[in-house]
Amino acid sequence: MTGDAISHAVLPGIVIGFFVSGSQRGLEVIIGAGLLGILATLIINWLKNKAKVQLDASIGITFTLLFAIGIILINMLAYKVDLDQECVLYGEIAYLPIDLWITNAGFSMGPRIMYLAVLNLVLVIGFIILLYKELTLTSFDENFGLVIGLPAGAINLALMSMVSYTTVSSFEAVGAILVVALLVVPPATAFLWTKKLTSLIKLTCALGIFISIAGYYMAYLVDSSIAGMMVAVGGVIFLGSALYKSIKPNSLFGTSTPSKPLEI
Amino acid sequence: MITHVESPILEIHDLTVSYDQSPVLWNVDLSLPAGKLIGILGPNGAGKSTLIKAVMGLVPVTGGYVKIFDRELNDVRSRISYVPQRESVDWNFPASVLDVVMMGTYGKLGLFRRPGKKEKQIAMDCLDKVGMQSFVDRQISELSGGQQQRVFIARALAQEADLYLMDEPFAGVDMATETAIFQLLQEMTAAGKTVIVVHHDIHSAMNYFDWIIMLNLHLVASGPKTEVVTEDLLRKTYGGKLNLLTKVSDIIRQKDFNPLKS
Repeated sequence: MTGDAISHAVLPGIVIGFFVSGSQRGLEVIIGAGLLGILATLIINWLKNKAKVQLDASIGITFTLLFAIGIILINMLAYKVDLDQECVLYGEIAYLPIDLWITNAGFSMGPRIMYLAVLNLVLVIGFIILLYKELTLTSFDENFGLVIGLPAGAINLALMSMVSYTTVSSFEAVGAILVVALLVVPPATAFLWTKKLTSLIKLTCALGIFISIAGYYMAYLVDSSIAGMMVAVGGVIFLGSALYKSIKPNSLFGTSTPSKPLEI
Repeated sequence: MITHVESPILEIHDLTVSYDQSPVLWNVDLSLPAGKLIGILGPNGAGKSTLIKAVMGLVPVTGGYVKIFDRELNDVRSRISYVPQRESVDWNFPASVLDVVMMGTYGKLGLFRRPGKKEKQIAMDCLDKVGMQSFVDRQISELSGGQQQRVFIARALAQEADLYLMDEPFAGVDMATETAIFQLLQEMTAAGKTVIVVHHDIHSAMNYFDWIIMLNLHLVASGPKTEVVTEDLLRKTYGGKLNLLTKVSDIIRQKDFNPLKS
Protein backbone atom coordinates (compact mmCIF):
# COMPACT_ATOMS: atom_id res chain seq x y z
CA MET A 1 0.00 0.00 0.00
CA THR A 2 2.97 2.30 0.45
CA GLY A 3 3.23 2.55 -3.34
CA ASP A 4 -0.38 3.65 -3.52
CA ALA A 5 0.18 6.21 -0.80
CA ILE A 6 3.34 7.58 -2.38
CA SER A 7 1.84 7.86 -5.85
CA HIS A 8 -0.89 10.11 -4.48
CA ALA A 9 1.24 11.92 -1.93
CA VAL A 10 3.71 13.20 -4.53
CA LEU A 11 1.10 15.51 -6.11
CA PRO A 12 2.06 18.63 -4.11
CA GLY A 13 5.69 17.97 -5.00
CA ILE A 14 4.77 17.90 -8.68
CA VAL A 15 2.84 21.14 -8.40
CA ILE A 16 5.65 22.89 -6.54
CA GLY A 17 8.21 21.48 -8.96
CA PHE A 18 6.05 22.75 -11.80
CA PHE A 19 6.11 26.26 -10.39
CA VAL A 20 9.82 26.24 -9.77
CA SER A 21 10.66 25.03 -13.25
CA GLY A 22 7.73 26.48 -15.15
CA SER A 23 7.23 23.29 -17.11
CA GLN A 24 5.63 19.92 -16.62
CA ARG A 25 8.72 18.12 -17.81
CA GLY A 26 11.47 19.65 -15.73
CA LEU A 27 13.91 17.86 -13.50
CA GLU A 28 12.50 19.96 -10.65
CA VAL A 29 9.17 18.14 -10.98
CA ILE A 30 10.81 14.78 -10.45
CA ILE A 31 12.95 16.06 -7.58
CA GLY A 32 9.92 17.71 -5.95
CA ALA A 33 7.85 14.57 -6.31
CA GLY A 34 10.69 12.38 -5.06
CA LEU A 35 11.15 14.53 -1.97
CA LEU A 36 7.42 14.46 -1.24
CA GLY A 37 7.46 10.68 -1.63
CA ILE A 38 10.20 10.34 0.96
CA LEU A 39 8.41 12.86 3.20
CA ALA A 40 5.25 10.77 2.95
CA THR A 41 7.17 7.66 3.99
CA LEU A 42 8.71 9.49 6.94
CA ILE A 43 5.31 10.79 8.08
CA ILE A 44 3.79 7.30 7.81
CA ASN A 45 6.64 5.77 9.84
CA TRP A 46 6.47 8.53 12.41
CA LEU A 47 2.71 8.18 12.86
CA LYS A 48 3.06 4.43 13.20
CA ASN A 49 6.04 4.28 15.57
CA LYS A 50 5.84 7.44 17.63
CA ALA A 51 2.14 8.36 17.63
CA LYS A 52 1.07 4.67 17.74
CA VAL A 53 -1.41 5.03 14.89
CA GLN A 54 -2.22 1.79 13.06
CA LEU A 55 -0.35 1.29 9.79
CA ASP A 56 -3.39 1.38 7.48
CA ALA A 57 -4.74 4.47 9.22
CA SER A 58 -1.42 6.30 9.07
CA ILE A 59 -1.06 5.48 5.34
CA GLY A 60 -4.62 6.60 4.65
CA ILE A 61 -4.27 9.86 6.56
CA THR A 62 -0.90 10.76 5.09
CA PHE A 63 -1.65 10.24 1.43
CA THR A 64 -5.13 11.77 1.45
CA LEU A 65 -3.81 14.83 3.29
CA LEU A 66 -0.88 15.33 0.90
CA PHE A 67 -3.05 14.63 -2.14
CA ALA A 68 -5.60 17.16 -0.91
CA ILE A 69 -2.86 19.76 -0.43
CA GLY A 70 -1.77 19.03 -4.01
CA ILE A 71 -5.29 19.58 -5.36
CA ILE A 72 -5.66 22.81 -3.39
CA LEU A 73 -2.34 24.02 -4.82
CA ILE A 74 -3.45 23.17 -8.36
CA ASN A 75 -6.74 24.99 -7.95
CA MET A 76 -5.14 28.02 -6.35
CA LEU A 77 -2.19 28.43 -8.65
CA ALA A 78 -2.53 26.40 -11.76
CA TYR A 79 -6.12 26.38 -12.87
CA LYS A 80 -5.23 28.01 -16.17
CA VAL A 81 -2.50 25.63 -17.23
CA ASP A 82 -2.51 22.07 -18.41
CA LEU A 83 -1.86 20.30 -15.11
CA ASP A 84 -4.99 18.65 -13.86
CA GLN A 85 -5.79 15.78 -11.56
CA GLU A 86 -7.01 13.68 -14.46
CA CYS A 87 -3.68 13.79 -16.23
CA VAL A 88 -1.81 13.06 -13.01
CA LEU A 89 -4.13 10.26 -11.98
CA TYR A 90 -4.64 8.46 -15.24
CA GLY A 91 -1.72 9.56 -17.40
CA GLU A 92 -1.86 8.59 -21.02
CA ILE A 93 0.51 6.03 -22.30
CA ALA A 94 -0.56 6.62 -25.92
CA TYR A 95 0.97 10.10 -25.91
CA LEU A 96 4.45 8.79 -25.19
CA PRO A 97 5.60 8.68 -28.85
CA ILE A 98 4.77 12.37 -29.19
CA ASP A 99 6.80 13.35 -26.15
CA LEU A 100 10.23 13.04 -27.74
CA TRP A 101 13.64 13.98 -26.47
CA ILE A 102 15.05 16.25 -29.14
CA THR A 103 18.68 17.23 -28.81
CA ASN A 104 19.85 20.78 -29.41
CA ALA A 105 20.95 19.76 -32.88
CA GLY A 106 17.38 18.77 -33.62
CA PHE A 107 18.06 15.05 -33.64
CA SER A 108 15.28 12.93 -32.15
CA MET A 109 16.41 10.46 -29.50
CA GLY A 110 13.07 8.70 -29.12
CA PRO A 111 10.51 9.00 -26.33
CA ARG A 112 11.90 11.07 -23.46
CA ILE A 113 10.28 9.02 -20.74
CA MET A 114 11.90 5.85 -22.01
CA TYR A 115 15.28 7.18 -20.81
CA LEU A 116 13.84 7.92 -17.39
CA ALA A 117 12.44 4.40 -17.25
CA VAL A 118 15.76 2.83 -18.34
CA LEU A 119 17.65 4.83 -15.72
CA ASN A 120 15.08 3.72 -13.16
CA LEU A 121 15.47 0.07 -14.18
CA VAL A 122 19.26 0.23 -13.88
CA LEU A 123 19.06 1.90 -10.46
CA VAL A 124 16.53 -0.60 -9.11
CA ILE A 125 18.46 -3.63 -10.38
CA GLY A 126 21.68 -2.23 -8.92
CA PHE A 127 19.97 -1.53 -5.63
CA ILE A 128 18.57 -5.03 -5.35
CA ILE A 129 21.81 -6.77 -6.33
CA LEU A 130 23.87 -4.65 -3.94
CA LEU A 131 21.57 -4.92 -0.92
CA TYR A 132 19.75 -8.22 -1.54
CA LYS A 133 20.63 -9.80 1.80
CA GLU A 134 20.05 -6.61 3.80
CA LEU A 135 16.68 -6.00 2.14
CA THR A 136 15.56 -9.58 2.78
CA LEU A 137 16.62 -9.43 6.40
CA THR A 138 15.06 -6.07 7.26
CA SER A 139 11.80 -6.94 5.47
CA PHE A 140 11.55 -10.22 7.36
CA ASP A 141 12.71 -9.17 10.81
CA GLU A 142 13.68 -5.53 11.22
CA ASN A 143 14.53 -5.87 14.92
CA PHE A 144 17.01 -8.63 14.20
CA GLY A 145 18.65 -6.39 11.62
CA LEU A 146 19.01 -3.68 14.27
CA VAL A 147 20.34 -6.15 16.81
CA ILE A 148 23.16 -7.44 14.60
CA GLY A 149 24.12 -3.86 13.80
CA LEU A 150 22.79 -3.39 10.27
CA PRO A 151 21.50 0.14 9.65
CA ALA A 152 17.95 -1.19 9.30
CA GLY A 153 16.37 2.25 9.43
CA ALA A 154 18.57 3.56 6.63
CA ILE A 155 17.95 0.47 4.51
CA ASN A 156 14.20 0.84 4.93
CA LEU A 157 14.43 4.50 4.04
CA ALA A 158 16.48 3.64 0.94
CA LEU A 159 13.88 1.06 -0.07
CA MET A 160 11.06 3.55 0.37
CA SER A 161 13.02 6.13 -1.59
CA MET A 162 13.42 3.63 -4.45
CA VAL A 163 9.67 2.91 -4.39
CA SER A 164 9.05 6.64 -4.34
CA TYR A 165 11.43 7.29 -7.24
CA THR A 166 10.03 4.40 -9.28
CA THR A 167 6.50 5.64 -8.75
CA VAL A 168 7.36 9.19 -9.68
CA SER A 169 9.37 8.37 -12.76
CA SER A 170 6.74 6.01 -14.14
CA PHE A 171 3.49 7.70 -13.36
CA GLU A 172 4.19 10.65 -15.61
CA ALA A 173 3.95 8.11 -18.38
CA VAL A 174 1.24 5.77 -17.21
CA GLY A 175 -0.69 7.57 -14.47
CA ALA A 176 -1.03 6.82 -10.80
CA ILE A 177 -3.64 4.07 -11.12
CA LEU A 178 -1.55 1.97 -13.49
CA VAL A 179 1.58 2.50 -11.41
CA VAL A 180 -0.20 1.23 -8.33
CA ALA A 181 -1.69 -1.67 -10.26
CA LEU A 182 1.71 -2.67 -11.60
CA LEU A 183 3.29 -2.27 -8.15
CA VAL A 184 0.72 -4.44 -6.41
CA VAL A 185 -0.86 -6.92 -8.84
CA PRO A 186 2.18 -8.84 -10.21
CA PRO A 187 3.79 -9.59 -6.82
CA ALA A 188 0.41 -10.40 -5.23
CA THR A 189 -0.33 -12.82 -8.07
CA ALA A 190 3.14 -14.35 -7.95
CA PHE A 191 2.82 -14.84 -4.19
CA LEU A 192 -0.18 -17.07 -4.82
CA TRP A 193 2.01 -19.39 -6.88
CA THR A 194 5.33 -19.46 -5.09
CA LYS A 195 6.77 -18.90 -1.62
CA LYS A 196 10.38 -18.76 -2.74
CA LEU A 197 11.90 -15.29 -2.91
CA THR A 198 13.99 -15.68 -6.06
CA SER A 199 11.19 -17.32 -8.04
CA LEU A 200 8.81 -14.71 -6.64
CA ILE A 201 10.94 -11.91 -8.07
CA LYS A 202 11.32 -13.63 -11.46
CA LEU A 203 7.63 -14.44 -11.72
CA THR A 204 6.73 -10.88 -10.74
CA CYS A 205 8.90 -9.43 -13.51
CA ALA A 206 7.51 -11.88 -16.07
CA LEU A 207 3.93 -11.11 -15.05
CA GLY A 208 4.55 -7.36 -15.22
CA ILE A 209 5.93 -7.63 -18.74
CA PHE A 210 3.15 -9.97 -19.83
CA ILE A 211 0.42 -7.71 -18.40
CA SER A 212 1.86 -4.67 -20.20
CA ILE A 213 2.16 -6.36 -23.59
CA ALA A 214 -1.16 -8.20 -23.41
CA GLY A 215 -2.94 -5.09 -22.12
CA TYR A 216 -1.47 -2.96 -24.88
CA TYR A 217 -2.51 -5.24 -27.74
CA MET A 218 -5.94 -5.91 -26.31
CA ALA A 219 -6.53 -2.18 -25.99
CA TYR A 220 -5.34 -1.82 -29.61
CA LEU A 221 -7.76 -4.56 -30.64
CA VAL A 222 -10.85 -3.04 -29.05
CA ASP A 223 -9.60 0.57 -29.46
CA SER A 224 -9.82 1.49 -25.78
CA SER A 225 -7.73 2.92 -22.94
CA ILE A 226 -4.33 1.23 -22.78
CA ALA A 227 -3.78 1.84 -19.07
CA GLY A 228 -7.28 0.64 -18.27
CA MET A 229 -6.81 -2.55 -20.30
CA MET A 230 -3.46 -3.30 -18.62
CA VAL A 231 -5.02 -3.00 -15.17
CA ALA A 232 -7.94 -5.14 -16.32
CA VAL A 233 -5.60 -7.88 -17.64
CA GLY A 234 -3.67 -7.81 -14.36
CA GLY A 235 -6.87 -8.00 -12.35
CA VAL A 236 -8.20 -10.92 -14.38
CA ILE A 237 -4.93 -12.86 -14.00
CA PHE A 238 -4.93 -12.23 -10.26
CA LEU A 239 -8.58 -13.21 -9.80
CA GLY A 240 -8.06 -16.31 -11.96
CA SER A 241 -5.05 -17.36 -9.86
CA ALA A 242 -6.88 -16.71 -6.60
CA LEU A 243 -9.89 -18.68 -7.81
CA TYR A 244 -7.72 -21.59 -8.98
CA LYS A 245 -5.81 -21.60 -5.70
CA SER A 246 -8.99 -21.58 -3.63
CA ILE A 247 -10.24 -24.62 -5.53
CA LYS A 248 -6.92 -26.51 -5.62
CA PRO A 249 -4.93 -25.11 -2.71
CA ASN A 250 -2.12 -27.65 -2.91
CA SER A 251 -1.16 -27.49 -6.57
CA LEU A 252 2.55 -26.89 -6.64
CA PHE A 253 4.73 -24.38 -8.34
CA GLY A 254 7.95 -23.60 -6.52
CA THR A 255 6.88 -24.68 -3.05
CA SER A 256 8.23 -27.73 -1.34
CA THR A 257 5.39 -29.33 0.56
CA PRO A 258 6.20 -33.01 0.82
CA SER A 259 3.50 -35.58 0.25
CA LYS A 260 4.53 -37.53 3.32
CA PRO A 261 3.50 -36.34 6.80
CA LEU A 262 5.87 -33.92 8.49
CA GLU A 263 8.51 -35.21 10.86
CA ILE A 264 8.92 -33.52 14.21
CA MET B 1 17.75 -11.29 47.37
CA ILE B 2 20.07 -9.94 44.75
CA THR B 3 23.51 -11.41 44.35
CA HIS B 4 26.07 -9.29 42.55
CA VAL B 5 29.18 -10.74 40.95
CA GLU B 6 32.71 -9.56 40.28
CA SER B 7 33.55 -8.70 36.64
CA PRO B 8 30.04 -9.47 35.31
CA ILE B 9 29.34 -10.37 31.67
CA LEU B 10 26.17 -8.29 31.82
CA GLU B 11 25.64 -5.40 34.18
CA ILE B 12 22.28 -3.65 34.41
CA HIS B 13 22.40 -0.51 36.51
CA ASP B 14 19.22 1.09 37.86
CA LEU B 15 17.33 0.40 34.65
CA THR B 16 13.86 1.92 34.23
CA VAL B 17 11.80 1.41 31.08
CA SER B 18 8.39 2.94 30.42
CA TYR B 19 5.84 2.66 27.64
CA ASP B 20 3.67 5.77 27.28
CA GLN B 21 4.66 7.27 30.65
CA SER B 22 3.80 4.15 32.66
CA PRO B 23 6.93 2.31 33.82
CA VAL B 24 7.06 -1.41 33.02
CA LEU B 25 10.43 -1.95 34.69
CA TRP B 26 11.49 -0.16 37.84
CA ASN B 27 15.09 0.32 38.96
CA VAL B 28 16.36 -3.07 37.89
CA ASP B 29 19.89 -3.45 39.16
CA LEU B 30 21.73 -6.71 38.62
CA SER B 31 24.95 -8.27 37.42
CA LEU B 32 25.36 -11.69 35.84
CA PRO B 33 28.28 -14.13 35.81
CA ALA B 34 29.75 -15.56 32.60
CA GLY B 35 29.34 -19.17 31.49
CA LYS B 36 25.99 -19.77 33.14
CA LEU B 37 22.54 -20.79 31.96
CA ILE B 38 20.38 -17.99 33.32
CA GLY B 39 16.58 -17.99 33.49
CA ILE B 40 14.29 -14.98 33.77
CA LEU B 41 11.06 -15.90 35.57
CA GLY B 42 7.98 -13.87 36.33
CA PRO B 43 4.24 -13.66 35.66
CA ASN B 44 2.75 -12.27 32.44
CA GLY B 45 3.36 -8.57 32.06
CA ALA B 46 6.24 -8.62 34.53
CA GLY B 47 8.59 -7.02 32.00
CA LYS B 48 10.67 -10.10 31.17
CA SER B 49 10.71 -9.48 27.40
CA THR B 50 11.11 -5.76 27.98
CA LEU B 51 14.25 -6.42 30.04
CA ILE B 52 15.80 -8.38 27.15
CA LYS B 53 14.72 -5.78 24.60
CA ALA B 54 16.20 -3.02 26.72
CA VAL B 55 19.51 -4.91 26.88
CA MET B 56 19.43 -5.26 23.06
CA GLY B 57 18.59 -1.57 22.62
CA LEU B 58 15.22 -2.30 21.03
CA VAL B 59 13.19 -0.22 23.48
CA PRO B 60 14.15 3.25 24.71
CA VAL B 61 15.44 3.33 28.26
CA THR B 62 14.08 5.97 30.64
CA GLY B 63 16.83 5.68 33.20
CA GLY B 64 19.93 3.70 34.07
CA TYR B 65 22.34 1.90 31.73
CA VAL B 66 23.38 -1.52 30.49
CA LYS B 67 26.95 -2.70 30.10
CA ILE B 68 27.84 -5.89 28.28
CA PHE B 69 31.35 -7.34 28.59
CA ASP B 70 31.96 -4.08 30.51
CA ARG B 71 31.40 -2.09 27.30
CA GLU B 72 28.65 -0.26 25.40
CA LEU B 73 26.19 -2.34 23.37
CA ASN B 74 27.33 -0.90 20.02
CA ASP B 75 30.94 -2.01 20.58
CA VAL B 76 30.05 -5.63 21.21
CA ARG B 77 27.06 -6.34 18.94
CA SER B 78 28.89 -9.10 17.07
CA ARG B 79 29.36 -10.97 20.36
CA ILE B 80 25.67 -10.97 21.30
CA SER B 81 22.97 -13.10 19.83
CA TYR B 82 19.23 -12.66 20.11
CA VAL B 83 16.20 -14.91 19.69
CA PRO B 84 13.06 -12.77 19.43
CA GLN B 85 9.57 -14.07 20.21
CA ARG B 86 8.26 -16.21 17.40
CA GLU B 87 5.17 -14.00 16.90
CA SER B 88 7.32 -10.95 16.21
CA VAL B 89 7.72 -11.77 12.50
CA ASP B 90 5.47 -12.68 9.58
CA TRP B 91 6.10 -16.37 8.86
CA ASN B 92 4.43 -16.04 5.45
CA PHE B 93 7.52 -14.21 4.28
CA PRO B 94 8.95 -15.87 1.15
CA ALA B 95 12.14 -17.40 2.56
CA SER B 96 13.50 -20.89 3.12
CA VAL B 97 14.75 -22.31 6.41
CA LEU B 98 18.33 -21.98 5.15
CA ASP B 99 17.77 -18.31 4.20
CA VAL B 100 16.60 -17.47 7.71
CA VAL B 101 19.42 -19.31 9.47
CA MET B 102 21.99 -17.69 7.18
CA MET B 103 20.71 -14.31 8.41
CA GLY B 104 22.57 -15.09 11.64
CA THR B 105 25.86 -14.74 9.76
CA TYR B 106 25.01 -11.35 8.20
CA GLY B 107 26.22 -9.35 11.20
CA LYS B 108 29.79 -10.62 10.81
CA LEU B 109 29.61 -10.34 6.99
CA GLY B 110 28.80 -6.65 7.07
CA LEU B 111 27.17 -4.54 4.37
CA PHE B 112 27.17 -5.49 0.68
CA ARG B 113 29.09 -8.77 1.04
CA ARG B 114 27.20 -11.85 -0.09
CA PRO B 115 27.10 -14.99 2.07
CA GLY B 116 29.20 -17.78 0.56
CA LYS B 117 30.15 -21.42 1.19
CA LYS B 118 31.52 -20.76 4.66
CA GLU B 119 28.30 -19.07 5.82
CA LYS B 120 26.22 -21.87 4.34
CA GLN B 121 28.32 -24.43 6.23
CA ILE B 122 27.80 -22.55 9.51
CA ALA B 123 24.05 -22.45 8.89
CA MET B 124 23.95 -26.18 8.10
CA ASP B 125 25.86 -27.01 11.30
CA CYS B 126 23.48 -24.91 13.36
CA LEU B 127 20.43 -26.56 11.78
CA ASP B 128 22.03 -29.89 12.60
CA LYS B 129 22.35 -28.88 16.25
CA VAL B 130 18.64 -28.14 16.59
CA GLY B 131 17.68 -31.25 14.60
CA MET B 132 16.30 -29.39 11.60
CA GLN B 133 18.83 -30.43 8.95
CA SER B 134 16.20 -32.25 6.90
CA PHE B 135 14.18 -29.01 6.59
CA VAL B 136 16.91 -26.95 4.90
CA ASP B 137 14.94 -26.16 1.74
CA ARG B 138 11.51 -25.98 3.34
CA GLN B 139 9.74 -22.62 3.07
CA ILE B 140 9.24 -21.08 6.52
CA SER B 141 5.50 -20.72 5.93
CA GLU B 142 5.29 -24.52 5.94
CA LEU B 143 6.74 -25.04 9.43
CA SER B 144 4.95 -25.83 12.68
CA GLY B 145 5.31 -23.47 15.64
CA GLY B 146 7.96 -25.59 17.34
CA GLN B 147 9.93 -25.88 14.09
CA GLN B 148 9.80 -22.11 13.60
CA GLN B 149 11.18 -21.73 17.11
CA ARG B 150 14.04 -24.11 16.34
CA VAL B 151 14.84 -22.17 13.15
CA PHE B 152 15.13 -19.01 15.26
CA ILE B 153 17.43 -20.77 17.71
CA ALA B 154 19.57 -22.03 14.81
CA ARG B 155 19.78 -18.49 13.46
CA ALA B 156 20.99 -17.28 16.86
CA LEU B 157 23.60 -20.08 16.98
CA ALA B 158 24.81 -19.03 13.52
CA GLN B 159 25.77 -15.66 15.00
CA GLU B 160 28.56 -17.51 16.86
CA ALA B 161 28.28 -15.13 19.80
CA ASP B 162 29.43 -15.29 23.43
CA LEU B 163 26.20 -14.07 24.99
CA TYR B 164 22.77 -15.37 23.94
CA LEU B 165 19.49 -13.67 24.86
CA MET B 166 16.41 -15.77 24.15
CA ASP B 167 12.85 -14.48 24.48
CA GLU B 168 10.56 -17.42 25.31
CA PRO B 169 12.31 -19.93 23.01
CA PHE B 170 10.19 -22.76 24.43
CA ALA B 171 6.76 -21.31 23.67
CA GLY B 172 4.91 -23.90 21.61
CA VAL B 173 7.76 -26.43 21.74
CA ASP B 174 7.01 -30.01 22.79
CA MET B 175 8.71 -31.64 25.79
CA ALA B 176 11.15 -33.77 23.76
CA THR B 177 12.37 -30.76 21.82
CA GLU B 178 12.54 -28.65 24.95
CA THR B 179 14.76 -31.21 26.63
CA ALA B 180 16.98 -31.47 23.55
CA ILE B 181 17.36 -27.70 23.32
CA PHE B 182 18.07 -27.36 27.05
CA GLN B 183 20.82 -29.97 26.65
CA LEU B 184 22.22 -27.95 23.75
CA LEU B 185 22.15 -24.80 25.88
CA GLN B 186 23.92 -26.63 28.71
CA GLU B 187 26.63 -27.77 26.29
CA MET B 188 27.03 -24.17 25.20
CA THR B 189 27.41 -22.87 28.75
CA ALA B 190 29.88 -25.66 29.47
CA ALA B 191 31.90 -24.29 26.54
CA GLY B 192 31.98 -20.88 28.23
CA LYS B 193 29.03 -19.18 26.53
CA THR B 194 26.42 -17.33 28.58
CA VAL B 195 22.76 -17.98 27.81
CA ILE B 196 19.90 -15.89 29.21
CA VAL B 197 16.43 -17.33 28.64
CA VAL B 198 12.99 -15.85 29.34
CA HIS B 199 11.04 -18.83 30.58
CA HIS B 200 7.54 -19.65 31.78
CA ASP B 201 7.66 -23.08 33.32
CA ILE B 202 8.98 -23.07 36.89
CA HIS B 203 9.36 -26.87 36.88
CA SER B 204 11.83 -27.07 34.02
CA ALA B 205 13.48 -23.86 35.20
CA MET B 206 14.31 -25.66 38.44
CA ASN B 207 15.89 -28.48 36.50
CA TYR B 208 18.03 -26.66 34.03
CA PHE B 209 19.03 -23.15 35.05
CA ASP B 210 22.16 -22.34 37.09
CA TRP B 211 21.12 -18.80 37.90
CA ILE B 212 17.63 -17.37 38.19
CA ILE B 213 16.30 -13.85 37.87
CA MET B 214 12.82 -13.24 39.27
CA LEU B 215 11.02 -10.24 37.95
CA ASN B 216 7.71 -8.54 38.61
CA LEU B 217 8.11 -4.95 37.42
CA HIS B 218 10.74 -4.69 40.13
CA LEU B 219 13.62 -7.08 40.43
CA VAL B 220 12.64 -9.61 43.09
CA ALA B 221 15.69 -11.82 43.04
CA SER B 222 18.82 -12.60 41.08
CA GLY B 223 21.21 -15.27 42.17
CA PRO B 224 22.26 -18.93 42.04
CA LYS B 225 19.26 -21.22 41.75
CA THR B 226 19.72 -22.90 45.13
CA GLU B 227 19.70 -19.56 46.91
CA VAL B 228 16.82 -17.75 45.22
CA VAL B 229 14.17 -20.40 44.75
CA THR B 230 12.41 -20.04 48.09
CA GLU B 231 8.73 -19.92 48.88
CA ASP B 232 9.02 -16.34 50.05
CA LEU B 233 10.64 -15.06 46.86
CA LEU B 234 8.34 -17.05 44.57
CA ARG B 235 5.38 -15.61 46.45
CA LYS B 236 6.79 -12.12 45.98
CA THR B 237 7.27 -12.73 42.26
CA TYR B 238 3.95 -14.31 41.48
CA GLY B 239 1.92 -12.30 43.97
CA GLY B 240 -1.21 -13.49 45.69
CA LYS B 241 -2.39 -15.80 42.94
CA LEU B 242 -3.71 -18.64 45.09
CA ASN B 243 -3.79 -21.24 42.37
CA LEU B 244 -0.21 -20.51 41.55
CA LEU B 245 0.80 -20.48 45.19
CA THR B 246 -0.25 -24.06 45.71
CA LYS B 247 1.71 -24.90 42.59
CA VAL B 248 4.66 -23.04 44.02
CA SER B 249 4.58 -24.97 47.27
CA ASP B 250 4.47 -28.16 45.18
CA ILE B 251 7.65 -27.03 43.57
CA ILE B 252 9.25 -26.20 46.87
CA ARG B 253 8.43 -29.70 48.02
CA GLN B 254 9.86 -31.11 44.81
CA LYS B 255 12.95 -29.04 45.31
CA ASP B 256 13.85 -31.18 48.31
CA PHE B 257 13.88 -34.18 46.02
CA ASN B 258 15.74 -32.36 43.30
CA PRO B 259 18.46 -34.74 42.08
CA LEU B 260 20.58 -31.83 40.79
CA LYS B 261 20.84 -30.42 44.31
CA SER B 262 22.48 -33.56 45.71
